[in-house]
Amino acid sequence: MKIHQYNMPDDLSYEENHFWVKEEGDLIVMGMDDFAQVMAGEIVYVQLPDEGKRIKLGKKFAKVESGKWLGKVFGPVNGELVAVNEELETNPGLINDDCYGKGWMYKIKPDDPGEVANLIRGPEAVEKWVLADIEKYAE
Amino acid sequence: MKSKYEFEAKYREQILQCSKCGFCQAVCPVYGSTLRPAYNARGKMLLLKEVMDGHIELNDELIETLFQCTTCASCFENCPSGVNVPEIIKEVRKDMVNIGSCHPAFTGMNEVLQKHTNIYAEDEPEDFERERNKKAEYVFFIGCVGSYREDEPALAVLDLLDRLEVDYTLIDEVCCSGVLEDVGFQINENLSRQNIERILATGARGVITSCPYCFRTFSNKPQYAELGEKGVRIMHVTQFLKDFDFGVKTDKRVTYHDPCDLGRHCGIYEEPRQIIRGIAPDFVEMRHHHAEALCCGAGGGVRGAYPKNSIAMARRRLQEVEEVGAEVVLTECNSCVHNLSNAKLRKQKFRIYNTTQFINELMEDAE
Repeated sequence: MKIHQYNMPDDLSYEENHFWVKEEGDLIVMGMDDFAQVMAGEIVYVQLPDEGKRIKLGKKFAKVESGKWLGKVFGPVNGELVAVNEELETNPGLINDDCYGKGWMYKIKPDDPGEVANLIRGPEAVEKWVLADIEKYAE
Repeated sequence: MKSKYEFEAKYREQILQCSKCGFCQAVCPVYGSTLRPAYNARGKMLLLKEVMDGHIELNDELIETLFQCTTCASCFENCPSGVNVPEIIKEVRKDMVNIGSCHPAFTGMNEVLQKHTNIYAEDEPEDFERERNKKAEYVFFIGCVGSYREDEPALAVLDLLDRLEVDYTLIDEVCCSGVLEDVGFQINENLSRQNIERILATGARGVITSCPYCFRTFSNKPQYAELGEKGVRIMHVTQFLKDFDFGVKTDKRVTYHDPCDLGRHCGIYEEPRQIIRGIAPDFVEMRHHHAEALCCGAGGGVRGAYPKNSIAMARRRLQEVEEVGAEVVLTECNSCVHNLSNAKLRKQKFRIYNTTQFINELMEDAE
């Protein structure tokens, strides 16, 4: 789904700080959405914590940086970090090139898979949220 | 004949003194990560000579060359002719700005510091849960990187000062704005005035900072001279802590990275080592240390303007950590911590800390 110039697939769920979440078996995959990667510009660093790290809903667990911008990555659910995209260590620009594919960031095993339902999901909700953020960041 | 540019008026003789020996190339971090001879000090001096001779003009085509410099001063340290390249680069950047040729990241940095109180244009610093602007013996000045990028080391140094029962206060600090001088602009006196007034209002007899850049700016820039004139001593945190007995030790192998702003620019090499030797019997030096230390790549605005190259420079530095088998890399600069941490690969298992952060952790573990 295109919202202005941003590609926001409507089969994904979204964390409010513009990270997408996709269910994959008993894991979730997450990454930065198109709106965020466009706003940030060229990504130069992605923090890749060690696997096994506890992820807490709404708590910061990693950082992403472009030249002068620092993004904090917040837990979309409670769970455990089980994999990171190691390609991003030497090629963080994959997020800009392919944010929903090769630029994926983390895989998390949720304590309760039902928590994903609390994220922003569904075309109407996603559109409303993105339009509001477009307006907010245009200021 | 009157010089067309200020850099020529001030530094013509120095530029002509460059014997083109190339000693600078061997130590230039920008050359090390790009392998482009035009980017090292010799290349820059050759270009400036051409400008002085009227063969080329300062213009946008020279931005990449003249703005890609961490001002680490390794070249100056190793120059047999004594050419003070960092000062020349800073001056020519001012000339570039005056003619309207500036790297957009640096133009942006100046714009940000005309409107905001920190270099990141952030609204709120981390809340360090400390009282601010109270009467105290010392002011602790965190700096932008600690306040907005590396809050963990910044919080740790505050915790350490608390453990040591130091009478200090934070203030509603604003950017010292010293970096503007490095990238072609001037210190924002509106910001420096705010810092001075807030420091003096506390009645403190000293300002302690863990940011070597703020330390340098407060110590050396005329805009902050009033602090010294009113008896306020400026101290880097390693100067302040060098004689403390922390009562803790580590058995880990530890090495130390000299921040350029603290080492080559301020001559502070031994205070951090005195502290580290007291807590780490297995302290080892990297291949390049003291005045020969490699730059982490973050200085001179390069982290913001050329982040990929900046991280590449930090990776070169971290190879030296691997060479000595250190488990812990200590430094005392939030920018160095930030850039080195960004550059560290997952396979590299050593930890990177500010010395104060590491000591605080040891003391915490011992409790």
